[in-house]
Amino acid sequence: MEGAPQFKLLLVGDGGVGKTTFVKRHLTGEFEKKYIATVGVEVHPLLFHTNRGPLVFNVWDTAGQEKFGGLRDGYYIQGNCAIIMFDVTARMTYKNVPNWHRDIVRVCETIPIVLCGNKVDVKDRKVKTKQINFHRKKNLQYYEISARSNYQFEKPFQWLAKKLVGDPNLYFVESPALAPPEVAIDEGMMRQYTLQLEEANQIALPDEDDSDL
Amino acid sequence: MQEVGAAFVGHYYKMFDTNRASIRSLYQDNSMLTFEGEKFQGVEAISQKLNGLQFQTVEHEIVTSDYQPTNGGGILVFVCGHLKVDGSEHPMKFSQVFTLAPLPGGQGYYCFNDVFRLIYG
Repeated sequence: MEGAPQFKLLLVGDGGVGKTTFVKRHLTGEFEKKYIATVGVEVHPLLFHTNRGPLVFNVWDTAGQEKFGGLRDGYYIQGNCAIIMFDVTARMTYKNVPNWHRDIVRVCETIPIVLCGNKVDVKDRKVKTKQINFHRKKNLQYYEISARSNYQFEKPFQWLAKKLVGDPNLYFVESPALAPPEVAIDEGMMRQYTLQLEEANQIALPDEDDSDL
Repeated sequence: MQEVGAAFVGHYYKMFDTNRASIRSLYQDNSMLTFEGEKFQGVEAISQKLNGLQFQTVEHEIVTSDYQPTNGGGILVFVCGHLKVDGSEHPMKFSQVFTLAPLPGGQGYYCFNDVFRLIYG
């Protein structure tokens, strides 16, 4: 891992969307995490092997400070990339995505950002795939994930790695060791979501904000 | 004064951690809360903010509490401590200042000022 390029990854989103669950899936990161008491974050070094060599995302996971209000600038400073997470079973967490985006951009300006809709394994989702369009307005990448089932775990990291390294042909050559899935994923349902997402991406953006949500 | 302040601190955090909905009884309509920089006034607004916080469970641990009499016959309370939300592994540091103002008719005190900050970053 020594000598591998390292990137500070900001992991933000409302309390309870599953940020900690998500980052803990990566087992070596979980073993090597370090708590920095003064900043109140746990840094998980997530190692990935790419066709361009190893690469580490130092994921900054809070101790829950976001449950009290916005995070301090010290959390964002020198962030190289970010994941904004919401919970597809809780509308308010999607409504707050623009606030998290604003806070990142205020400090970090133009870093690559991935939007992740978590908990897509849950049948009764409240934020439907076709309602999600914030990423299109702001040029973010969007992935639907399910931390508890490992569904699409690597996707956000692979996209960020491509952007940070500047190589669209970068890919992961081996999968990191992940905690075993806690829930099963319905493959048919996931294919449907993927199709819906592709369809939604073809449709012109509405002028209106997300007032229908 | 010290006794009243200490009793308030014990009562406030016990309510906050076990029955947050009832904490409204400690405020009046001219009470003010500044919570992580966000300002609220009055029982309704304060109660709504405190009960709408994004965690399910919280445990406060008081490390220090200091008291002074205020000019208007009230009590200034300054608290430092740790708190843990939703069973998190890592406690966060916080500090909080209150002034307790006497209720009309000498019926005890209510919380007139309340300023809360997490200490980090």
